[in-house]
Amino acid sequence: MTERVKVAVVACAGMDKPVGSLTSASVFKVVEELRPENVELVCLPPLLAGVSSYSDLVRSLPVLTVDGCAERCATKLIVKSGGKIRGRIFVPDCAKKYNLLPEAASCLGPNGEKLAENIAQEIASTVDKLIQET
Amino acid sequence: MPIVNWKVGIVSCSGEEIPEGKISRVATRLVLEKLRPNETVTICLPLFLAGGEGERTFAKVFPTITVDGCEKRCAEKGTKKYSGKPFATVVVTDNLKKCPEANLKSRDQLSAEELDFAEKVAEEIADKVDEALNQAIKQHGSGES
Repeated sequence: MTERVKVAVVACAGMDKPVGSLTSASVFKVVEELRPENVELVCLPPLLAGVSSYSDLVRSLPVLTVDGCAERCATKLIVKSGGKIRGRIFVPDCAKKYNLLPEAASCLGPNGEKLAENIAQEIASTVDKLIQET
Repeated sequence: MPIVNWKVGIVSCSGEEIPEGKISRVATRLVLEKLRPNETVTICLPLFLAGGEGERTFAKVFPTITVDGCEKRCAEKGTKKYSGKPFATVVVTDNLKKCPEANLKSRDQLSAEELDFAEKVAEEIADKVDEALNQAIKQHGSGES
């Protein structure tokens, strides 16, 4: 029996900006609705807190990072943890592309929800592409 | 001498993997936006861990409260490692033992019961904010001119 190929998806999920909440919302749509069978959601802080199961995961699976702002923390922390980044989504680029902005960190609002849906679709497409390449 | 008004930094786990993480996120935002908007700021945990100097310096100078979703206590460990001991810590799984009826399931949208529970956690954080501010003012003065 062959093991199902998965992609590790890592969102910055930053608390201080609406784009951080947007990364979370988008990733949850992928994990719970769009590609539940193909994605391992990796929580970022435990990687730095030294939880080995998380670092093993990002070293063994192709990683897709989702960053909310120019700090690109998800990308930086995966690089620091020795992960293999195979895809990157940068939320401000998506906001420009779709001309949509979230209202606030605690409430994305209709435009933010629509943007989260679009970003989720982009993540899902990238996951499919990475799985085909694997 | 610079004028400093005391603020409390809330360092919350970003809550990606389990429902308790979502509660930590929502409870923190309730404190920041509704319960203590003028007394608190949030510290972005990923940026703090990635090496954000501004976040780390703030957490060295001002009191912090960490809010963790689970026993891994990433926010608490990170704060201790990079900036010093937090004034107080909140761990959602501990609070859950007192409110088993909350029945946490959601990682995305919270149910009415889950939101109720998040509000209780937020109230506990707000109480700790008040304690932190009182202690800072006792030790260093209000910081107002």
